[in-house]
Amino acid sequence: MSAPAVTPPHTGRPILATLPIFDLSLRAFSGGKAIRVVALFALVPTLFAGIFWLDAAGQTSREFLNDLFRELIAPTILPLAVLTLGTNALGNEIEDRTMVYLVLKPIARWRIVAEKFLAVVAVGTLLLWLGVALTWFVTMRSSAGDNLDMLVAIELAVLAAVLGYGSLFMAVSLLVPRALLAGIIYTLLWETTIARFIPGVRLVSVRHYVVSIYGRILDDPQFLVEQAMHLGPAVIVIVVLTVVALALTSWRLATMNLE
Amino acid sequence: MTATMPTSATPRAVGPIAPPIPENATIVVQNLSKWYGDVVAVSDVSFGVEPGVTALLGPNGAGKSTTLEMLTGLLKPSTGTIRVLGKPARGDVSLYRQVGLVPEQETIYPFLTGYEFVRLNAVLQKLPEPDAATTRALGLVELLPDAGRAVRGYSKGMRQRVRVAAALVHAPQVLLMDEPLNGTDPVQRAHMIELIRRLGREGRTVLVSSHVLHEVERFADRILVIARGKLAAAGDFHAIRDKIDEHARAVRLRCDDARRFAAALVQTPIVLAVRLEATPDGAQPGLVIETSDVRELYRLVPVVAQDQGIRLFEVAALDDSLASVFAYVVGR
Repeated sequence: MSAPAVTPPHTGRPILATLPIFDLSLRAFSGGKAIRVVALFALVPTLFAGIFWLDAAGQTSREFLNDLFRELIAPTILPLAVLTLGTNALGNEIEDRTMVYLVLKPIARWRIVAEKFLAVVAVGTLLLWLGVALTWFVTMRSSAGDNLDMLVAIELAVLAAVLGYGSLFMAVSLLVPRALLAGIIYTLLWETTIARFIPGVRLVSVRHYVVSIYGRILDDPQFLVEQAMHLGPAVIVIVVLTVVALALTSWRLATMNLE
Repeated sequence: MTATMPTSATPRAVGPIAPPIPENATIVVQNLSKWYGDVVAVSDVSFGVEPGVTALLGPNGAGKSTTLEMLTGLLKPSTGTIRVLGKPARGDVSLYRQVGLVPEQETIYPFLTGYEFVRLNAVLQKLPEPDAATTRALGLVELLPDAGRAVRGYSKGMRQRVRVAAALVHAPQVLLMDEPLNGTDPVQRAHMIELIRRLGREGRTVLVSSHVLHEVERFADRILVIARGKLAAAGDFHAIRDKIDEHARAVRLRCDDARRFAAALVQTPIVLAVRLEATPDGAQPGLVIETSDVRELYRLVPVVAQDQGIRLFEVAALDDSLASVFAYVVGR
């Protein structure tokens, strides 16, 4: 095939040759609704921190932030925020059929899934880290410098949550119809309610491992996490969950019908 | 290649057919079926596609897109096998280095420019010089002047062309195009047809689905007629067209003296029946002529009109739509 030699038009920043699907996904996220929803979720704890600022009601800043993380951020904010990104990453492209442009290429399916997941982790972690940092700052204010350990513990727990929930919800988006609804029900029923109040069940909730990681890194006797796992096993469970969920997603993408 | 058609003593035979697979076929489909619950989308279809341009022809809902999706591996067949360039159509991603698809759906990443979209495809194909390949592909579809614009601002025809450019960016040996002329204006359509023909002349295997018979005639050497999920005819386009033309067809004619024209026409051996057709405004009635040789009728009508001194206003084939041709082919 031949064509006239014409100077290419100005096109802005070219797609990354090394991670094209990651780059494409970041661009898709940056202009989409999902990122705004995640940003809103990330800012909800800051709202509570602002109320605490106005009236501490006898709580110390550390107690407040500990409660806020364990009762709101870990069981509800993190899964809902990551659910938005995780189901969006593959589900939207399958729904609008742009996935055809990725799967009809000489690229292994696991590579597509891995780059999509990387985009979910990058965007989710960045926004949630910023939200948590802002919440921590509003809560601690002048004592922020003395409470850096809490910020580090929460931020690392957030990373673990993004990895676990991100991979889980990407798999759900290919395995379950109406994945977003299924994810919301799972989050509100399982992670937020059942896993918090039934001791045995918490072992099969991502929240338990996220809170365990937080508690072990913080290592403050005042904020002992009930039945907390040790740091090593908790991290291993999150990593295994991530790998298994991504493998399941890759298998599903390779075997499903893309009509 | 000759045409393979359903044949029987009756004018209309019943599909499906199973034409012989050519030795040089780059796409080989055998006993392909796809069903969704009780709904059969494609039923026991077998054919081979050689290099050159082949049209996959059928009315809307006939099973063309489903067949193309199975050829690209997007859909898993319920039964049957597909081999493209000797490899299974599904499961071996290396095949996509040599296969391109122009899908029917319009959706393209709206936040990318046309250039970025085609270049993305070049990068995903791991081409060593993606910019050069992108420029070449966009030039082929004459979209370079608009390549810097965001796809969200493209017209339907421009989206169609940028999808074609994306499918051509890696110069595939096999190109599958699902209704590629949809949305194009006459100039773009002529250009696209020329491009398809050129790709066929270069020795590539180009399989183009369409539901518009007269469009297909302009670029396809061979056709596969699919109707109601079954392969109804396969082979040389003109041979199939001739076979279709052998059978009775209806032509509507309007002129300034329908009765005298009818009387003249009915004397000719190719006219099987003539009936007058009332017009709603009470003007001269129209004529509906049933003929055994529509081509000869088209040749004869102006001659008779001139001989009789009758003015012709309209000559139109009543059953020239693809749906009626398919209805004949599959023996409905």
